[in-house]
Amino acid sequence: MSTNNDIHGQYRGTRGELFHLAIVTTILTVITLGIYRFWAKTRIRKYIWSSAVGDGDAFEYTGTGLEKFLGFLVAVVVLAIYLGVIQMVLFFFGLSFVAEPTTPAEVIMMMSLLYLNLLALLPLIFYAAYRARRYKMARTRWRGVRFGMEQGAWGYALRASGYTILMIVSIGLLAPLANFKLEKYMIDRSWYGDAKFEQHGKWTKLYGAMKHIFIGLTVLSVGIGAGAAMESEAMLAIGGVVGYVWLVVGGLYYRVHSMRYFFANRTLGEDIAFKAEPRTWDLLKIALIGGLIIGAILLAIMAVGGLGMAGVMSMVAQSESFALMGLIGFVGAVLYVLLLVLVGALTLVFILQPMINHFVTTFTVQGKDALGDISQRAAETGVDAEGFADALDIGGAF
Amino acid sequence: MLEAAGIYFDGVSAAKHHVDVRLDEATGYLSFEGQSIGAPQHWRLEELRLLADQPSGGWLTFTRHISGDDEMLRHEARLSLRDGVLNARLREFAPRLHKRDVNKGAGLRIVKLMGGAFAAVALMLFVILPAMADTLARFMPRDREEQFGQVVIKQISWFVSRDSDADLSCKNDAGLAALAKMEARLTANIDMEYELNIQVFDHPMVNAFAAPGGQIVIMRGLIDEAKGADAVAGVLAHEIGHVEHRDSTRNALRAAGSAGLISMVLGDFSGGALAAILAEQMLDASYTREAEAEADKFALEALRNAGVSGTGFASFFDYLLEQQSAALELPFYFMSHPPSQERADKARAFAQKQTATSSVLSAADWKALQGVCD
Repeated sequence: MSTNNDIHGQYRGTRGELFHLAIVTTILTVITLGIYRFWAKTRIRKYIWSSAVGDGDAFEYTGTGLEKFLGFLVAVVVLAIYLGVIQMVLFFFGLSFVAEPTTPAEVIMMMSLLYLNLLALLPLIFYAAYRARRYKMARTRWRGVRFGMEQGAWGYALRASGYTILMIVSIGLLAPLANFKLEKYMIDRSWYGDAKFEQHGKWTKLYGAMKHIFIGLTVLSVGIGAGAAMESEAMLAIGGVVGYVWLVVGGLYYRVHSMRYFFANRTLGEDIAFKAEPRTWDLLKIALIGGLIIGAILLAIMAVGGLGMAGVMSMVAQSESFALMGLIGFVGAVLYVLLLVLVGALTLVFILQPMINHFVTTFTVQGKDALGDISQRAAETGVDAEGFADALDIGGAF
Repeated sequence: MLEAAGIYFDGVSAAKHHVDVRLDEATGYLSFEGQSIGAPQHWRLEELRLLADQPSGGWLTFTRHISGDDEMLRHEARLSLRDGVLNARLREFAPRLHKRDVNKGAGLRIVKLMGGAFAAVALMLFVILPAMADTLARFMPRDREEQFGQVVIKQISWFVSRDSDADLSCKNDAGLAALAKMEARLTANIDMEYELNIQVFDHPMVNAFAAPGGQIVIMRGLIDEAKGADAVAGVLAHEIGHVEHRDSTRNALRAAGSAGLISMVLGDFSGGALAAILAEQMLDASYTREAEAEADKFALEALRNAGVSGTGFASFFDYLLEQQSAALELPFYFMSHPPSQERADKARAFAQKQTATSSVLSAADWKALQGVCD
């Protein structure tokens, strides 16, 4: 039901502009040995944010590369100490298990060491994730008014660690509980101007979105069980592949439908509600087609590059000059880095941007008349950006 | 005077104002008024800024520069203009549309924070991690160290032969007996902490290395190229020095701690892993030089105690320098054992001060050692 009081999301970013921006910023990043990456991410965000439009008004990202860089420096000082010490101590104890473990006790020891390594970082990763989201909210504006998020990164890290343990213990069955509580924790601390977001609903309602995960698991176990019972390798293979693909698509289905549920039960202030209607199939199509396009482009480049390389190599083999060999090695390394740059830019243009486009254009804000009553929120000063997330390298392409 | 319709947000509320915008080039002002905004607004063109990295071909959003707390030094108000004549003229005429405004104190803050970060990372990499590696290497149980050393040797054996199952070690009894004699003479007067396990690998590479837990490997190429038994003894004494200083265990521990740190600092930009490996190697080299000097010192001391001339050891450096200046294929040895005139000179000066010396092996034993891989 669409009324005049609804705002439908629009997206106006183009492939060409984003591709150009991505290539330029990544090459600058490589040339500056990685320092430009903070400015690169910021510029990509600015482009994507200002491409998202509601009611004719574009979003705005006001973060700066400089504050991201400074935040990173602060995080490095803290993490340098933490990481270095933890890694070395774990390596020290891990050494005895370099040789093949023979007794079950040794295997358990080795596994627990691996998980210990991860566990030591886990609370920090959650902490960083909350801070990163808070920073992005504080640096996002629409209609000149800021979004924002209250402090609470340690509370989040604590809860997220607890729910993660719960999820592992329940072999994933309580994933909706963890998912819902953590999302609610963040949404209930989020603001647009002086209007507060609120997440309603119940975590048990998310189980509906999990149905394809359960079907996938059933297919997987029945297929493998039947294959094993009948001693048929064909049955085993079919059950395994079908079950696995179903499970992966089921995971995407869960993400999409839990998102629908979250937005359907979310309010802003008294009068504003949301509707998110992304479609699993459309997202899958974007990923598949995008993947095919990127694959085809890379294949073409490698075919041409391979021929050229073979020609050069035969020349080098004849000349037996080590200086030339070194030069070829260097050129090869540069080409390799350029290829990585290209893959990153192509992924952004052919997969990520179309997906964002899909999410934005299937998004509706209901009750736009109430927007006029929302006032500005005070600026956040002294935030050290998302340095921890940058240092731990979480948060993806932009 | 150019005019166009625009949308204005005052930065105080999210209410939307439709305004009529006028560009007055003579006075240098962009003015706009609308029913809902009360008094007309006048923005000076020098203060006008265009938001960066917007998609083109539609509405463009402008703002105004101010000094204050804002992260971008911009006023909170926004003015959006549809693409058109006024928009185009404005982008041509306004002088500082794309200027990036930076806070005055920013430069000093960057310098301070960068200094702090550099200091913390450097402290970690060059002081704390090496010190911790020292301590932990001392506490490591011997059998654990030996296990680890065997893995390292397996890896090297795979690296030179590309065959994980290959047993490269040479088995000629007379040769091994000669090698044992050499070891006994070199270590006779030293209180050894490690029990040595010395092998010869059947490979033409001119190299030798020490792995954790007292394990030493000499490549056949080194024996082939050596001028005499004393040269091999010098290299062996040098490797025994590495063993006694626990250099490879320490290095492995330190590398485990610093690898994560370096990749964190360099970040995950394209090719970041490549850069991290290079940085790690450079770091390694700086430790290696120090460890090499220490092992040289140990080797000369061992030669003195055993009454073996240092001339052979010096001749080995001469050989390496010769290879280097001929600029032929760089032997693998250079990477971990940088040769230098200085090291050769030291060994030679040491040799001149020695009085009574005798060859480390008899002529017959040296012959046997040369045939250890037959």
